[in-house]
Amino acid sequence: MPPLMRQILSRVGISLLVLWGASMLIFVIARVIPGDPARVALGPNATAEQVEALSQALHLDRPILIQYGFWLRDLVQGDLGRSLYTNRPVTQDIAEFLPATLELVFVAALLMVALGMPLGILAARYRGRWPDHLIRVLSLLTVSAPAFVWAVVLMLLFAYFLPIFPIAGRLSEEFAIPRVTGFLTIDSLLAGDLAAFADALHHIILPAVALSLSGIGQAARLTRANMIETYDKPYIEMAQAYGFPESRISRTYAFRPSLIPSLTIIGLDIAALLGNAFLVEAVFGWPGLSRYGVQVILRKDLNAIVGTVLVIAAMFLIVNIIVDILTVLLNPKIRHAEKRG
Amino acid sequence: MLRLLKGTASAAALAFLVAGPLAAQGTLRLDEVPVGELDPALATDYADSLLMFNIYDTLVLPAQGAPGHVPHLATGWEIDGATFTFTLREGVTFHSGNPMTADDVVFSIERMQAMGQGLSFLLASVESVEAVDPLTVRVTLAEPYTPFIASLVRVPIVDKATVMANLGEGEGETGDWGQAYLSANSAGTGAYRVVSHNPQEETVMALNPAYFGEVADGAPAEVRLRYGLEPATVRAMIARGEHDISSQWLPPEVMVALADEGAQFFQESGTGAFYIKLNTQKPPLDDVNCRRALAAAFDYTTALAITQITPDVAGGIPSTGAVPVGMFGANPADMALAQDMEAAQAHLANCAHNPADHTLEISWIAEVAIEERFALLMQQNFSALGFNTEIVRVPWVLFTERVTSPETTPHISQVFVTATTGDPDTLLFPMYHSSAAGTWQSPEFLNDPEVDALLEAGRMAADDAGREAAYAALNARLMDLAPTIYGFDRNSVFAASTRVTAPAMTDPAAAFGLDGMGFAFRLMSVTE
Repeated sequence: MPPLMRQILSRVGISLLVLWGASMLIFVIARVIPGDPARVALGPNATAEQVEALSQALHLDRPILIQYGFWLRDLVQGDLGRSLYTNRPVTQDIAEFLPATLELVFVAALLMVALGMPLGILAARYRGRWPDHLIRVLSLLTVSAPAFVWAVVLMLLFAYFLPIFPIAGRLSEEFAIPRVTGFLTIDSLLAGDLAAFADALHHIILPAVALSLSGIGQAARLTRANMIETYDKPYIEMAQAYGFPESRISRTYAFRPSLIPSLTIIGLDIAALLGNAFLVEAVFGWPGLSRYGVQVILRKDLNAIVGTVLVIAAMFLIVNIIVDILTVLLNPKIRHAEKRG
Repeated sequence: MLRLLKGTASAAALAFLVAGPLAAQGTLRLDEVPVGELDPALATDYADSLLMFNIYDTLVLPAQGAPGHVPHLATGWEIDGATFTFTLREGVTFHSGNPMTADDVVFSIERMQAMGQGLSFLLASVESVEAVDPLTVRVTLAEPYTPFIASLVRVPIVDKATVMANLGEGEGETGDWGQAYLSANSAGTGAYRVVSHNPQEETVMALNPAYFGEVADGAPAEVRLRYGLEPATVRAMIARGEHDISSQWLPPEVMVALADEGAQFFQESGTGAFYIKLNTQKPPLDDVNCRRALAAAFDYTTALAITQITPDVAGGIPSTGAVPVGMFGANPADMALAQDMEAAQAHLANCAHNPADHTLEISWIAEVAIEERFALLMQQNFSALGFNTEIVRVPWVLFTERVTSPETTPHISQVFVTATTGDPDTLLFPMYHSSAAGTWQSPEFLNDPEVDALLEAGRMAADDAGREAAYAALNARLMDLAPTIYGFDRNSVFAASTRVTAPAMTDPAAAFGLDGMGFAFRLMSVTE
């Protein structure tokens, strides 16, 4: 088996163990925090008998270990239980809300990488000059405010005072796209509706920018710092002494080595977008999984809490595996060590 | 006793006369807190009610601008003791095209009872329900219960054939009673049918062209009920003409900003109040004189000012007692409660407890930000009497659990309570009857035989005069016992764009007296 494949399999195995541990942890935490989920689910007018009946139906009257056993049994059958918040299977909720969040996070991640890293390269390339100063100030500004502040500011500036972008939602009312993947940009293309595709892009820009701004700043700062460190290495001085073009030095000799440490942090930042998306989703009326996750926590919707946390944990682990693979591919030292191993 | 209610038919006949051909137009957009529950047997909160009142119909409706009820799916009814016989309207069809018959009514009541969720407690007294013929239904109660007709405004009639054709997994031949299906689809006779439903985003409804009842000229052809929008988003959308009506939960500051930009306000009142509940089992509030002292020391005027939006519009109306103005037994509107520190000191002098020996725990519900301001007001008011106070923020999930026992219930809790059916029985019985103690509505743990007797008299009295007398006596008794500080009568305020007209929420003569019923979209009109 090729070393890379072996490493991927090993990571997947470890990830499954981590997911199992996370499921136990969140299962217990969700149940020990105060509050009766049955009472909350049934609403303010429920009688004590109704509350008791639902508690029994949910096995909440049984010891926590037995409850976990029931949950595991259902999980094996692909059943994450029923959400008390939406009164639907949790799997159905996740299937409905996850694509909206993933689409938003994907565009935000794209912006993070496509803007943050080039800005970092530019700042390092012109270290100590005005482009560097400007980028550093802007990076500091974006990093210093959380995503939800940017969400409100951007909405007010570019949707309210200057009505360039839509205020909320994923698609204008006049479009009705058949749901295939749940990613509206993809579904609109599958439907051959370019106007709907443009409209979906129009809707996603503002929330994606709001979500990615602090990540862009972080990526720029990180890339700049790592590249400056690389620029101080003797081999760069040698390349400069040989008269290599500055663009080549920057791209080939300075950027690539400095990418490896940046990649791990940026990877984690992208995964963290899933959690940070909550307030951006709330401000822009984006029906995603992050917003759903917070609502179910507030209502102590046990099955939905466990299901949502597991999905987000799985996303973290997947991003980590991808980062590990990219690191191996980018770093010849690791690659060759793997081969020797 | 046999009573034939014929007079009510005239109101319905009038409604049919004014109902003309449909001239629907445009889209109405409004928002509520998530999640919108489509299944009427699971409906409990405001968003669910809006859906229920528009997608489904009930046998009766609250009379507009007057007490009592008028026929709706029923054309009339006879009451003989604990037996109610309803005659159904002929020619009404469900969204599926199926005719509405007595079997559907029987099925709807049995479904709610069997599922035992939502507002099924309203049917707890129903012993049997039977279809006498296709257009006659007989309901027998275990004992006479006068507010039963009022309860029917929350019992929507579902299409039995459609539900039975879409049963999910479950026990017996009724499976899941169609829960999974009705949580995503409509099966009613209502003026609107569901086009699409995302419980976290929006429910889209379209006008039912075959609707049997009154539909206003210019009623919206499409309605989009959005969920969980942030106040800043709602404000921006209304200002840009992309949204029409806000929820009632917008902070007053945002309401003020919208008013400055030309928004109008819709209002609903007379169905509930803001109650400050005193734990009567915990010292020092186990002494009636200490409770009376707190009730007299509370600054009612400032509490109302906190809810003020414009000089003319506020989230409350001055309280006159335990019963909101407009209900049976309420005191006149000009008898508004007011702070009286001298009276408070006098009551305190008779209290067995020394206030300095006690720290009053003043709780506020974490999800209702405005309650923190009321808590601070109480802290100021009660400190003036010498009480130590501690303000505690309690999430709703925790609050509902804490109030199940007197020991864990805070000294002081704040809740907005509404009569589920518009009848005082559904407001006062769950709050003050000793058998109902220990819920979010009854953290007073009041145990007073006289109050119990008056509450039972109120629900058993055969006529309006008897009910008025029972609730007036109850009101007086509750004022004397002071288990609660009656903060203010609730006035739900909604900011709306001027393109919408909603007589049921702007004209008291057209108001329904039932929370959420003002949002009967068919009676609204929108301009393009």
